[in-house]
Amino acid sequence: MEPEELTELALGAAVAAGAGYADARWVRQETESLTVTDDRVDDLEAEDSRGLGVRVLVDGHWGFAASAVLDPDRVRGLGRRAVEIARAAASLPGEPARLAPVEPAVASWSTPVGRDPFAVPLAERVELLLAACEAQRAVAGLTHARATVDLWRRRTLFWSSEGARLDQTVTQAGAGIEAVAVGDGDLQQRSWPNSFRGQFLAGGWEVVEAADLVGNAPRVAGEAVALLHAPELPERVTTVILDGQQLSLQVHESVGHPLELDRIFGTEAAYAGTSFVRPSDRGRLRYGSPAMSVTSDATTPGGLGTFGFDDEGVPAQRAPLVAGGTLEGFLTSRETATALGATSSGAMRADGWGNPPLIRMTNVNLEPGEGSLDELVADTADGLLLSVNRSWSIDDRRVNFQFGVEAAWEIRAGRLGRLYKNATYDGRTTEFWGSLDAVCGPEAWVVWGIPNCGKGQPFQNGRVSHGAAPGRFRDVHVGVRGA
Amino acid sequence: MSRLGERLLGVAEAAIGAEGADDAEALVIREAGGLTRFASSRIHQSTWREDVAVRLRLVLDGNRVGTATVHDLQPAAVASAARRAAEVARTMPPDPGYPGMPGPADYAVTERWDEATAATDPATRAGLVAGAVRRLPAGVTAAGACETRELEVAVANLRGVRALGASTAASFSILADAGSGTGWAEGAEPCLADLDVAALGERAARKAVDAREPRELSPGAYPVVLEPAAVATLVQFLGWLGFGAKAYDEGRSFLVGRLGQRVCSPLVTIVDDALAADTIGVGFDFEGVPKRRVTLIEEGVAASLVYDYRAARRHGVEPTGHGLPAPSAEGAYPMHLAMLPGDTPQQELVAGMERGLLVTRFHYTNLVNLMETTITGMTRDGTFWVEDGQVRGAVRNLRFTQSILGALSAVRAVGAHTELASEDGYGAARAPALAIDRFNFSSATTF
Repeated sequence: MEPEELTELALGAAVAAGAGYADARWVRQETESLTVTDDRVDDLEAEDSRGLGVRVLVDGHWGFAASAVLDPDRVRGLGRRAVEIARAAASLPGEPARLAPVEPAVASWSTPVGRDPFAVPLAERVELLLAACEAQRAVAGLTHARATVDLWRRRTLFWSSEGARLDQTVTQAGAGIEAVAVGDGDLQQRSWPNSFRGQFLAGGWEVVEAADLVGNAPRVAGEAVALLHAPELPERVTTVILDGQQLSLQVHESVGHPLELDRIFGTEAAYAGTSFVRPSDRGRLRYGSPAMSVTSDATTPGGLGTFGFDDEGVPAQRAPLVAGGTLEGFLTSRETATALGATSSGAMRADGWGNPPLIRMTNVNLEPGEGSLDELVADTADGLLLSVNRSWSIDDRRVNFQFGVEAAWEIRAGRLGRLYKNATYDGRTTEFWGSLDAVCGPEAWVVWGIPNCGKGQPFQNGRVSHGAAPGRFRDVHVGVRGA
Repeated sequence: MSRLGERLLGVAEAAIGAEGADDAEALVIREAGGLTRFASSRIHQSTWREDVAVRLRLVLDGNRVGTATVHDLQPAAVASAARRAAEVARTMPPDPGYPGMPGPADYAVTERWDEATAATDPATRAGLVAGAVRRLPAGVTAAGACETRELEVAVANLRGVRALGASTAASFSILADAGSGTGWAEGAEPCLADLDVAALGERAARKAVDAREPRELSPGAYPVVLEPAAVATLVQFLGWLGFGAKAYDEGRSFLVGRLGQRVCSPLVTIVDDALAADTIGVGFDFEGVPKRRVTLIEEGVAASLVYDYRAARRHGVEPTGHGLPAPSAEGAYPMHLAMLPGDTPQQELVAGMERGLLVTRFHYTNLVNLMETTITGMTRDGTFWVEDGQVRGAVRNLRFTQSILGALSAVRAVGAHTELASEDGYGAARAPALAIDRFNFSSATTF
C-alpha cells in the first residue's frame, strides 16, 4: 500500500476504536553518516527507516502506538492499540488533556535544497574527508585527524482526525573536522566549524561545502597542538566573550529548555527535569540584561528547527521568548497552550515515527546586536575569549550550569593573547544573562545546529538550532573551585 | 507481533547470500515495548512501539566494506539494502586492516526471556503506576515511568556464525515531590514480577519527606556516601572513557600508560559481565562473538581492555565479545559493567561517616577532562547532611567536579548490596554504594 493509504488506514482504525482525537504520522527517515579517521574510512552508516505512529486522545487521556511493520492488519492494529493504551491511562484521575484549536491544513512543504546531498557520489564524499584529514595531518605534532559528514532526510505524512493532511520533507546536512593532539598524559581537541561532528543546517551538499573543511584544517590542527602545550586556565572571576558556537549551547541549555512549557508544568520532572520559570513569570521575570532578546523562529532559513508545520500540524511561527531581558513567551503545544488561554507556538516535534511529539525547541535565536568580534575584543580591557563547546551540564531546574570549552584566549587591552587549555566557566542562569552587555551584529550572527538534544522517555533525540553571534558577559567565574 | 525467534535468524541467513560478497554479515534486531509515564500523579503519556532492523555488512574484492540498514524484514526491502551495501562496498577505498569476520561459536547465555514481561499490557503498567501513586503519603505527588521491553537479536555471517538471543527488561522509576524536597528511586530487572514497585515508591516518598526544607551548604570537598545509582554513573563514565582497545590504541583512553598499574583503591573491582545471572541483554555482541567476563579494574589495578574482533586480531588476542556493529569508529564498548560489592551494609556506610554528604543520584553528568577522568554534574532528589553517623537534614543541591579515579582512590568502604541501573535493554550497570573520604563540590544551586 502507498504511505497515504496506510496513514489513512491507521487514522480510521483509531477513530473507529473510539478516539476522540487522533493523528497518524508515516515517516521515512534516511540517514548517511561517514567518518574518516586519519587515512581510512572508519565508519559509514546508511540507514533507511520507515514506520507509522498513531496518537489518540480518549476521554482526555493520551495513547500512542507505533511500528516499523507496515502491513495493513498491523497498521489497523496500531489504531486500536493506541486507544487501548489511552483507556488504561484512566487508572489515575486527573485533569483531562484538551487541545487548543488549530486550522487543519492541507499542504506540502520541503526544505530548499541546492544539491541533493544523497545524490553526491560516495567517492566524492570520501575524497573530501580524506583530504580534510590529510591537511590536518600535515601539521607536526598532531596525533589523529577525523572528518565527518552526516546527511538526513525525513519525509513525514501527518493526517489528523480534524482533517489535516500534510506532506513534508526536511533535508539536513552537517560536516566537521576534529584534530586531536595527545602527549604527556594529556589529550586536546580542536574542532571546526563546531564540536561533536561539526556544523549542521537544513539544506543540501552546499552546507558541507560551506564548512570548508580542507581550508580550515591546518589552522585547526595547529590549535590542537598548541593547546597541548598551553597552560591550564587559572580560576578567577573575569569578563568572558563566548564565541557563537559556545553561546548557541548556552542559549540552548539556559534559555531554550527552561522555556519548554511541559517542563514548566512538570511532565518531564522525573527524567530531564523541570524549570525555575513559572507560567506567571511571563512579562515580569527579568531573565537577562537589556542586551538579551531571544526569539523562537521555526522559519529561520537553514535551521534544524525549520519546518512548515510541527508534528501536531501547527504552522511554523516566529515569536519572542525574551525581549530586552524580560520574559515574553514559552515553547508550547496544543495541550499546554490551553493552560495559558493561548494557541500553540508550534513546537511539538517527534523523533521519527516511533515516538510521540514532545515540546522541543525550534530555532531559538539570540538576536544580534552590533559590531564585529574584532571590535568586541578591542573594546574589552581584560578578559577571555572562550571558543567551541567541550562539555555542558546544568541542574534539573536549569539554574546552575557549568560549561567547558576547547580553547580560551586571554584578552589584554583589547587584544588576544595567550592560549589556555581546559577552560570552564559556571554560573546561575538569570545572574549570568543579567551580565550580558554586548552581542555582536548580524555580520557575526550564524545559525548553529545542535543535532543531539535529548529529552523524553522513551529517549528522543531532537535536532534544533540557535542563531547567535559572539556575546560578552561580565564577572563570570572561570575554572573549577577546589580543583 | 509475538516473538519472532528463528524467523529473525532466517532473515539473516537469507540476507548474507545476496550479492555474492566475499564476506557477509547480517545483524537483525527486533525491539518492542511499552512505557507508561506519569507526572503530578497523573498518567500523561503512554506509548508502545516495535522496531525491526536488518543491518548488512558486505565485503567485496577482499577488503572493501559496505554497510546498509533497513527497518523492514520483507525480502524485497532486505534485498534492496543488500544492493545498497554492495554499492557502498564497491565505492569504498580498500581497508588494508580488514580483519575478516568471526567464525562459529558456542554461546553460554542466549536467553533472558520472561514471557509475562514481554506480554505486559498497558493496563498492567498503568495499574502498577496507580498503586504506587495511591500509596504516597498526603502532600506528596509523583512522576516517573514504568517500562517493559523485549529484545531479540540474530547474527549470521558467511563464516558460520549463527547467533540468536532474546532478553526482556522491566524498569520502574519514581520521583516523589513533597514540596520543598524530592526523592527518587528506580529498579530494573529482567522480569517485571521481580520489581518491588511498592518498595520503590515508599523509598522515594520517604526521601522526599526527609529532603524538605534543605539548607544551603558551601561548596567544598566533603566525605560522601554515594548510593548505588550515583556510583553507577561513575562506573558508566569510566566505561565510556576508554576501556575499549581502539580508544586505547588511538591514545584517547584514560588507561594509556596505566595498564597494570594501581589506579584506585584496592577496595574497587570493576568487571564487565554479560553472563551474570542478574543483568540484562543477550550473550553475544553485534558481530556474534560470545561475551566474556572481563575484569577491567582488579582490586584497584587497571587490568584489561575489551576487544571487538578487529582490535583482537590486531593485538593477537581473543575478542571479548564487546563489539558494536562493525565497522565502528568507537570500537569495543563494555555494556554490562559492574562494580563488585564489599561487605559493609549500606546503612553502616552512613553510620561510619563523621561529617559529610549522602547523595541519592547525579543529574546531567558530563566529561570535563578525559585523561584525568574528571566529570561534572549535579546532585538531585535527596542530598543529605550527615553528622556523627546520622542524617541531619537535607542540603541544597551541589555541583561536583571530580576525577572518577580520584574518588575511587579515596574509597573508605564498599556497600554489600548492589543495584542495577541505567538499563537500556542491551545492557546495564550494577553498582554498590560507596563511602568516599573526599569528593569535590565546586558550586551550589538554589534548591
